[in-house]
Amino acid sequence: MKYSYKWLKEYYKTSDSVEKTGELITKLGSEVESISGSASVDAGIIAVKINKIIKHPNADRLQLATVSDGKKEITVVCGAQNIEEGQIVPYAKPGVKLIDLEVEEIEIRGVKSPGMLLSERELGISDDHEGIKILDENTKLGTSVVKVLSPDRIIEAEITPNRGDLLSHFGLSRDLSAASGKILDKPELEIKESDTKAEKEVNVEIKSEKCPLYIARVIKGVKVGQSPQWLKDRLVVCGINPVNNVVDVTNYIMLDLGHPLHAFDAKKVVGSRIIVDEVKKEQEVVCLDGKSRPLMPGILCIYDDKSPIAIAGVMGLQCSEIDDQTKDVILEAAVFDRKSVRKTAKLLNIKTEASYRFERGVDDRGTSYAIKKAAKMIAEIAGGEILSGEVVSGKIQKQGNVKIEYQKINELLGIDFPKTSIDKHLQALGFELNEDYAYIPGWRHDISIWQDLAEEAGRLEGLDKIKPEYLPVKEAPKSGKYYQKEKIKDILVELGLDEAITYTFLSEEDIKTVKIKTDNLLEVANPIQVENRYLRNSLIPGLLRVIAKAPSFDDIEIFELGHIFDKDKERESLAIITCGKSSRQVEKIIRNFAVQISIDPKLFKMYEISRDELKRFKIKKSTVYVAEVEVESLLKEAQFSDLDITDQFEAVQYRPISKFPPVSRDMAFIVDRKYNLDEIEREVIGSSDAVILVEPFDEFVNDRFGKDKKSVAFHVYLQNMGKTMLDQEAETELRKIIKTLEQKFEAKIRS
Amino acid sequence: MKQGHLHPSTQILRELIKIFRELDFEVYEGPEVDDEWHNFDALNLPEDHPARDEQDTFYLKNRRVLRTHTSNCQIRAAKDLKVPIRVVIPGKCYRNEATDDSHETTFYQLEGLYIDKKVTVAHLFSTVEQVLKKVYKGEIEYRVRPHHYPFVEPGYDFDVNTKRGWLEVLGSGMVHPKVLRNMGLDPEKYSGFAFGMGPDRMMLRKHGILDIRNLWQSDLRFLRQF
Repeated sequence: MKYSYKWLKEYYKTSDSVEKTGELITKLGSEVESISGSASVDAGIIAVKINKIIKHPNADRLQLATVSDGKKEITVVCGAQNIEEGQIVPYAKPGVKLIDLEVEEIEIRGVKSPGMLLSERELGISDDHEGIKILDENTKLGTSVVKVLSPDRIIEAEITPNRGDLLSHFGLSRDLSAASGKILDKPELEIKESDTKAEKEVNVEIKSEKCPLYIARVIKGVKVGQSPQWLKDRLVVCGINPVNNVVDVTNYIMLDLGHPLHAFDAKKVVGSRIIVDEVKKEQEVVCLDGKSRPLMPGILCIYDDKSPIAIAGVMGLQCSEIDDQTKDVILEAAVFDRKSVRKTAKLLNIKTEASYRFERGVDDRGTSYAIKKAAKMIAEIAGGEILSGEVVSGKIQKQGNVKIEYQKINELLGIDFPKTSIDKHLQALGFELNEDYAYIPGWRHDISIWQDLAEEAGRLEGLDKIKPEYLPVKEAPKSGKYYQKEKIKDILVELGLDEAITYTFLSEEDIKTVKIKTDNLLEVANPIQVENRYLRNSLIPGLLRVIAKAPSFDDIEIFELGHIFDKDKERESLAIITCGKSSRQVEKIIRNFAVQISIDPKLFKMYEISRDELKRFKIKKSTVYVAEVEVESLLKEAQFSDLDITDQFEAVQYRPISKFPPVSRDMAFIVDRKYNLDEIEREVIGSSDAVILVEPFDEFVNDRFGKDKKSVAFHVYLQNMGKTMLDQEAETELRKIIKTLEQKFEAKIRS
Repeated sequence: MKQGHLHPSTQILRELIKIFRELDFEVYEGPEVDDEWHNFDALNLPEDHPARDEQDTFYLKNRRVLRTHTSNCQIRAAKDLKVPIRVVIPGKCYRNEATDDSHETTFYQLEGLYIDKKVTVAHLFSTVEQVLKKVYKGEIEYRVRPHHYPFVEPGYDFDVNTKRGWLEVLGSGMVHPKVLRNMGLDPEKYSGFAFGMGPDRMMLRKHGILDIRNLWQSDLRFLRQF
């Protein structure tokens, strides 16, 4: 959720910087993802009045705004469509520094623009770039806007699903205050009510246990219009679009106190009853977002005498919405069952700010306060009178409790917190303590066992108080299947094979290419990508795909060890695939491998991939052999002389691979024998960015090259990140390599 | 004789497992396709829990799932082995989401589980501290902060400080009493900790690989660089 730092500070009294507060929020368990908004607005940005707007002569989407700072007029080019004559807006003259640019006088489509009008984002006060920031109409012309704006900072924090109580400025402030031992209470509210009782206008009837509490209030004679700028600003900072003053107040209260509210136009509510009930018969309704949705039986709704007027806790319906003509408002503050809201939101595939909070649980004890504050604000901002009293149906739940197991808490954390400090933290968080029991505050739906209290004590006391304690020593055997499988990989790598790890999935296209029957395949029920349609029943298709993608490699020997699946079985399989080898060469690999772990090579099923299948895979190689074995049966037979595996690996100088195929070239050089292959290889890579791989394939000493000289030969793979590498380009790169080796090693290229 | 190349994911898992072996953890492995009970319900992730939405699960037509974490092996390990249990569980996990250069359907996880009498948060912290020090050769600043995972209580995340700011590297916590009960253990007698880490991202950072999709495409130009 996005929080306004100014708003937080109304509750959380601190002189800390926003960064310091951000650290505390993270430390308490909600990771701060970003802090944005500028700390300062350039003092050179001033308030100006738009005197005249005309169309740009050469561009349809641009306008020319003539603005005045009270002394003189200038005309600037403006692309935003929200400006009107008479508005006061921020203006930056050339030379003023914005967050990421310095304003200059520029010419746009033939018209000079000395400076610019600014959006909120350009001002650095929010992410809003929809239009020019409109300042209050009373702002004095020519004054620096920094005084009027006093920029806010926005803290975005990840609130875990168990902590719905933090999804408001008050809620987060309460947690922050508790960390410094202070109990944060809501300020007293005074409201002025008329003599007429709200109950005379509306009744509430709950017919489903999915709604434990429903409170309504009535405000008569409001004037719907735009909200004042400060209110809009706060909503925008938190990512909510302003609608009108009544709806904006309900959203404000949600962000303020965490309680989602709803407002109905009283005139549109048929009869004088609000009924909370489940849908009995499927029907189509139009929601506030203008979309039509089917209501299925069981969904909890708010009804008037005739039809549904809101989907409880999720979204209101258009038929009862507040509009410009609305005079009388029925406000709703209710508690809806968390699971029910979640189910409805999932069923209808809508996630709203309200459903998000109801799913995580709201504070039933705070409901009355929230609706009272909303009524007060509406009356202040939109006018009207608040009818006397609340109309209430249902009741507040009995407060649960947990026994505070002081000793167990300390044992679990591995510390020794005194009882007094545990008590102090729990009280600061709003728990009421009685004997050894902690009574859970209505907003904490995540607390049910003493371990939950241990978490609270730990995080408020500070996790740095917990001193690491070592585990007892116990010898772990370096044996078992994992080590055996890894040993197998090591042996294969030693024999020159590369290990591939490919996708577990088969696509529809793979099925066609491999021509396998799907009857026995395990099928994914909800794939969102076509690639993830089935689970593989063999490693071979994945490995063939690897070969298909490597046309410039002649000599390929790869293996994979991984899980394969059919309808009722999951197994591990080992597959070896070679390319450009004779059957005898493949048999030799298998034989060499078999000898090392004392198995019968016949355990492997070996076969050649048919021409036809190679064609379907678009593999242009002539001979591709495959050998497969079930890992389970392999391990049953295998005997390992040791299970020592390589377990130290250096970071490589990784080069990203191009989407376009590489070209390969063989290069041979004569060099002094004192240079080793590795250092020459490194220089080859270093000499050209186009080199993706260098593979030595030959090295021999012969006197005919001169005394102490040897010949070294490499396959060099070259690629271009943006296109297929052309021969000419490759030649240029090869020349670079030759030049480098000549300089470094006095190497001579062999032709 | 030319040498082949081990996939970098195999490499990083081996390096991590070696570190855990030095701390006396043995390796336990389990299935990638599992029932919902092992993957969710037994881990205190009931159907109606909002946290279950975060998982983006691949459901299969036989009503099972591709595991979303190696935590599906927690219950299995506890039932197969005798207390004290001290295991790490490596394996492939799956997430049903669209892929791009930083999101993949397939990823490795390395889970750790330790259960005994009188296991404390202090044990968890010491273990993670030793592991992080070994992984980053002592040259790292790390922090711990509370976090929520339904299968632990309390739960903690560990972040390391990188050039680009704090980076989460390990999620952990004390095994939830409900999970202990599902393991057939009495939470009044036994306690334990669990943690999970993502070796893929560690490996990407180690080598400076920018596109996560490279991992399972197994292009030879990729494989042969390691």
